[in-house]
Amino acid sequence: MIGEQRILEVLRRVVGRSPADGTELVYMGGRSDLTRYTKSAIHQNVSEEDTRVYVRVAEGKRLGVVTVNTLEEEALVRTATRALELARHPPENPFFKVFPRPAGYERTQTYFEATAKFAPAARAETMKRIFAQAERLGLEVAGAFSTGEGEVAVLNSNGVAAYQPLTQAGITIVPVSKEGMSRSSAFSHDVSSIDFERVAAKALERCTLNRNQQEMPLGQYDVILEPRCLAEVMMWLSFIAFGSNSFIEGTSFLAGKLGERSMGENVTIYDSVREPEAQGLPFDFQGSPKQRVTLIEHGINRGVVFDSISANQAKARPTGHAGLPGSPYGAIPWNLCLGPGDSSVEEMIASCQRGLLVSNFHYVNGFLDPKKALMTGMTRYGTFFIEGGKIKHAVKNLRWTESMLRALSNVQAIAREREVITDEAVSFAVMPAVYIKDFTFTGVQKE
Amino acid sequence: MPCGTGLVSRRIFPKLTAKGGLRETKEWLNAALNDLSRAGVDYADARYLDRESESITVRNEQVAGLSRKDDCGFGIRVLYKGSWGFAASARPTEADVTATAGRALEVAKASYLTQRQPVKLDESPPHVGRYRTRFEVDPFAVSLDRKLELLFAALKILRQDKGIAVAEGAMSFYRTEKLFLSTEGAEVTQSILESGAGIEATAIEGGDVQRRSYPTSMGGDFAAHGYEFVESLKLVENAERMREEALALLAAEPCPAGNRDLIIDSSQLVLQVHESCGHPTELDRALGTEISYAGGSFLTPDKVGKFRYGSKIVDIFGDATIPGSIGSFGYDDEGVAAQRFPIIEEGVFVGYLTSRETAPILGRQSSGAMRAESWNHIPLIRMININLEPGEEQLTLDDLIADTKEGILVSTNKAWAIDDLRLNFQFGCEIAWEIKHGKRVRMLKNPVYTGITPQFWGSCDAICDRSEWRVWGLPNCGKGEPPQTMHVAHGVAPARFRNVEVGVKK
Repeated sequence: MIGEQRILEVLRRVVGRSPADGTELVYMGGRSDLTRYTKSAIHQNVSEEDTRVYVRVAEGKRLGVVTVNTLEEEALVRTATRALELARHPPENPFFKVFPRPAGYERTQTYFEATAKFAPAARAETMKRIFAQAERLGLEVAGAFSTGEGEVAVLNSNGVAAYQPLTQAGITIVPVSKEGMSRSSAFSHDVSSIDFERVAAKALERCTLNRNQQEMPLGQYDVILEPRCLAEVMMWLSFIAFGSNSFIEGTSFLAGKLGERSMGENVTIYDSVREPEAQGLPFDFQGSPKQRVTLIEHGINRGVVFDSISANQAKARPTGHAGLPGSPYGAIPWNLCLGPGDSSVEEMIASCQRGLLVSNFHYVNGFLDPKKALMTGMTRYGTFFIEGGKIKHAVKNLRWTESMLRALSNVQAIAREREVITDEAVSFAVMPAVYIKDFTFTGVQKE
Repeated sequence: MPCGTGLVSRRIFPKLTAKGGLRETKEWLNAALNDLSRAGVDYADARYLDRESESITVRNEQVAGLSRKDDCGFGIRVLYKGSWGFAASARPTEADVTATAGRALEVAKASYLTQRQPVKLDESPPHVGRYRTRFEVDPFAVSLDRKLELLFAALKILRQDKGIAVAEGAMSFYRTEKLFLSTEGAEVTQSILESGAGIEATAIEGGDVQRRSYPTSMGGDFAAHGYEFVESLKLVENAERMREEALALLAAEPCPAGNRDLIIDSSQLVLQVHESCGHPTELDRALGTEISYAGGSFLTPDKVGKFRYGSKIVDIFGDATIPGSIGSFGYDDEGVAAQRFPIIEEGVFVGYLTSRETAPILGRQSSGAMRAESWNHIPLIRMININLEPGEEQLTLDDLIADTKEGILVSTNKAWAIDDLRLNFQFGCEIAWEIKHGKRVRMLKNPVYTGITPQFWGSCDAICDRSEWRVWGLPNCGKGEPPQTMHVAHGVAPARFRNVEVGVKK
């Protein structure tokens, strides 16, 4: 870790020496470690240290971006000159006015010393205990365990100076038997808050259920989708529906339909970095404070997220969702949350007369028909047939093809408990399990 | 040594061995490898990489994205008592090289704590060599004005009808300089240049969104050539057709569901090969090391030499030696020389993409398919050029259509999805045409087809000849944790598949 003072000092000096009308610098750096295992042994183990600075300059309404991986002042000043050279070529961007001015932000709690100090040997020792836990049930374990620490800073020539340190610890446990697999995972900024034994026990118990898989006839079933399924769907919705580009261009189902109903009354989707379950980066990559944005409220389309440029284009207000400088994707929500309900997975199973419990989705694709949010994907890591309120048996993985507008209009129950799902420190989803009526399955995994 | 300042990245291959700069870094890396040998490691290698890239995206009248990126650093991989460790740093100073080597050893020692079976590498010989891409026009020397002029000229044509809501064009260029050293004495330097571009038109009417992309979707086509490749794509000349097809799709009938004979053109077949031939033949997947993320493979090692993957006309080769392809190189990121080798022969599964660690499990030597996205990633088994060989009989796409009584012709990928064993797939395409009595009779929208990999390839009864065969570059193949994006390629010609399920079962 380089530290707030030193990073901001260097960035401030570079902005002061930049030849451009306006300059914006985004610093991202740190160490990230990851241990991967399969068959209850570590097979990959890596550690990476990087320092990345995005230099965006403005000349009038023209913008240029150059990214380098150094924090050396002289190199960054030269980079600003290169960015300015780049900015002189494109046409003016009529929607760019100036880089944002300071708007203040409140730090979130994202840095924990225990995570920063968690060494490779500590990850290996943790895994040894989990491998032993699995061996007692005759199972082997695959997955990944990552820890890391990093810093994000944004500084511009209009006075914005934002800094946030982050740590992250994430573990995925995939027990494997000859008959099937399961998966559970945990994420926290604070590694000491993860109950590894409990996460492993949950996965191991589910794996012992996932045997004697039977092939189910295709068609519509009531489904209980566990949180990771929804997280994959939400990731696609963030690209095809809740981002600024799809809204402005008209490919989003919200375009021209704000205030109209697209989902059930019990569905509320919002973007937030301050949830009881997780906190995120409190500002965007322009240093503007991230606002809590309601996207769908009780099934009604309420809005999308914007950065300063896309907000000008849409004649809306920026919401603090700027992506990295130079990105062509516009503003994207990174912290999608589905409002909790008052049920539980156990209660949902008990209330289900005939349906499927789905642990995970795999390889979802949302480009089939974005206006309908039509998506396809597979089930993975355990799919179970429910009859008469009880799990009857495991089933072979199924392909589903379904409009998410239709599915999220058919939500019968939502769990009160939510899970944080992420593969990194900056973006995450906070999702409960949901019970959906008449979900469409269109294929099966078989040779 | 300065890194990522735009100075180093402008160096090209002949300067890699010049005094100072890289020479110093090479000495430090060699010293670190010597220290690791003295510390008793089984094996270690070091990779230094310096990449310059440029990305331009224009949308309607705006430049939506314009950036250049310099990325530079090194990674050291250590095999200690049969267990791997890897550490990487963006700061190539003597102190950091030493510290990073120490960290890689510390990580390997941690891996050793859970070891069940020590890793043993194959006997691939260490190479000393050089490789560089041949090109005519350095894209980094072409003015930005010239590039923008080309993209905006294409977009102007796309936007000539108000029905086109979004017109987009993109270009990307990469120059990668790589050095590989190992404790076995390997020393390989490579300089690889890649260029790519594409355009797309999106038409919207009510709740209907239709898109046409040229030369293909997902950013266009890519090759290991210079700017001459971008000009050869003729984006401007093809813009009018894309515009008209996108508009016509709004009025077209939806592709009817049912089992049909399917002709897949090469812009879609490339992704079919990628997902259902390339990924399942990665040996690390088959051995379970990707099972918790990307997935496994139905092509398990017991099937080598026995399993009927496709019909007798299906021949698939791995080939990292094709000039001008982004799936080609001189040496992989373990220093193994580029090769051509069979994967499917006359429909039978015969070989995998392998590494020095995995090949000996099958009693073989590495096929040279270990590739890392950058300096900060370990190499993984990745696709190179995975090619469906063209048919031997003379057969153009027009001949194939003329030979089809009733069927559907699909083009250009829109949506892709496949299960974790690479069996059950579903692809959506941008456009289709109904074929009746050997002729295209009408355009169809929203075509989707699905199948089970070996059944699907078993139904392949015709592949067009070499005149229709083309290598497509895909710059966005994802795999691994932390995720890595790889540039791969596939040579394909249009092919016909009998009795394929088209549409979605309800």
